[in-house]
Amino acid sequence: MIKVSEKKALRNVFGDHLVYLGKKNNKICVVSCDLKSATKTSNFFEAFPKRSFEVGIAEANGLGIATGLALKGFIPIISSFGAFITGKFLEIRTSISYNNAPVKIIGTHGGLIGKDGATQSGTQDLSLMMSLPNFEVFQPCSPIETIQILNHVVKSNKPSYVRICRNNVGEVYNQNYKFIPGKPQELIKSKTNTIISSGPLIFNSLDAIKYLSQKKIEVGLININSIKPFNFNALEKILKTKKNILVVEDHVSHGGISSLVYETIAKSKLNNYNIKSLNLDDKFSESGDPSDLEKANGFDAKNIAKIFYEKFNSTK
Amino acid sequence: MNKINKVKKFYSTSNKIRTNIIDMLFKAQSGHSGPSLSIVEILNYLFFEKRIYKNFNDRDHFVLSKGHAVPGLYSVLFNLNLIKKKDLLSFRNIGTKLQGHPDRTKLKYIELGTGALGQGLSVSIGFALANLMLKNKKKSFCLVGDGEIQEGQIWEAAMYAGSHNLNNLCVILDNNKMQNETYTNKTLDVMPLKEKWEAFNWKVIEINGHSFSQIDRAFNKFYSENKKPTIIIANTVKGKGISFMENSALWHSKILDEKSYLIAKKELND
Repeated sequence: MIKVSEKKALRNVFGDHLVYLGKKNNKICVVSCDLKSATKTSNFFEAFPKRSFEVGIAEANGLGIATGLALKGFIPIISSFGAFITGKFLEIRTSISYNNAPVKIIGTHGGLIGKDGATQSGTQDLSLMMSLPNFEVFQPCSPIETIQILNHVVKSNKPSYVRICRNNVGEVYNQNYKFIPGKPQELIKSKTNTIISSGPLIFNSLDAIKYLSQKKIEVGLININSIKPFNFNALEKILKTKKNILVVEDHVSHGGISSLVYETIAKSKLNNYNIKSLNLDDKFSESGDPSDLEKANGFDAKNIAKIFYEKFNSTK
Repeated sequence: MNKINKVKKFYSTSNKIRTNIIDMLFKAQSGHSGPSLSIVEILNYLFFEKRIYKNFNDRDHFVLSKGHAVPGLYSVLFNLNLIKKKDLLSFRNIGTKLQGHPDRTKLKYIELGTGALGQGLSVSIGFALANLMLKNKKKSFCLVGDGEIQEGQIWEAAMYAGSHNLNNLCVILDNNKMQNETYTNKTLDVMPLKEKWEAFNWKVIEINGHSFSQIDRAFNKFYSENKKPTIIIANTVKGKGISFMENSALWHSKILDEKSYLIAKKELND
């Protein structure tokens, strides 16, 4: 079983690594929309004031400025809450996606964020962003994965969206881990049962798998860290032997991880699946303690285990 | 070249640009004639007088934010010998480099793909900031329409540029006083323009956008401005140069039939 080490907030990891990348590459610059502290780009602003641009509460203008910087050969990182920045869809679609301008959008506060409630919670962002030509869309689950994805993103000549959740999380990878865009990661191999998730819910799923193993039910775990590109064949290969699949995601049901899984199955010659998807259905999030929100939406480890058990125990 | 000949040559170039616009629109049987014809003298000045594409790899940036007026830009590129006649006449056809609205991934001389209005100015600010970081003297030009400035993003961008003293940025506002459906002041009045932009800390120069001497004076003021971003409010005539298109909302994007085409050609050749 994977050991989970000391917990960290991924946005802090992002902010710290951004400063490191800024030292190595003087083309990297940052655009903030009055959320430097919340999205953790304030350290970059302090370290590199000449490459830092505060546009105020004006995300559309910020996205346009980032486009101009990108087309001039800079590597602009623009960060805001995912819910806000992806809400500027027309600006992202025309200025960035249509022009294939390599702007790097960091959407923090993905999923169920807590007391600030639905308006600030990124729960449609993946669906929107995966529809855009030229874009790469990633979601890291852990500190090491956040660093690896950022390293890829600043090297890539494509625009990208990186969804970063608010949760404090441990680590599932070691330092030798190499992120491969498109490739689903089978964190725990299994014969017939698996959970598929992405982002910090990987950790809830891990705990659920521990509960299930106490009941002598062996369940695997697949991490979808790259939403676009997405290697359907690679997931098909992993799923070949699987009979029971539970998808867990903190996103609406349309156009998220579960859509990718169903699409993989529909595109492949695989059949006989027992599959269930645990997500936000067609709802917004709401206010509350993060742990209460997880429970209310059924994303806590105990409930994930319970759902798996109830749905699939008869077919194990 | 003496001044009279220079001015004569300028207007003769405008005429060529207009003739090619009409040719493309007739061949395509679609496209925006009125908004392309109103910007001809501005484009003519930047590309033939200031020669901003003289060395394309070390150019001043020009963003056509009102992307639907791209026939004007294509015609300029043709008259600069940067695109061929057969490409010009492929405008809006399947597989063409000359898309209905500009596409920089298909035609390298397009600085920015536009079409959803209101976005070009922010990108031009990005170019201006990049030029400052690169410590070069290059300018960033952006052409917007008067209807276009109804978009909120324009004012986010105007606020940013004004508060950061981007004196390497120049907006040209094609004030042809009409938009898609009717007159701008009947749709959503954008006046008073001068006071609005001055309040956003811009240097405002208002001119007749078809007059060489006034355009020349306005751009020279921009080149010597050392504090603020500049906006040139170019008062223009929609459909300029073709009598039945002038000041007609109908000719925003009306299909050019053969009879109208022949009259237009005749007017431009006279």
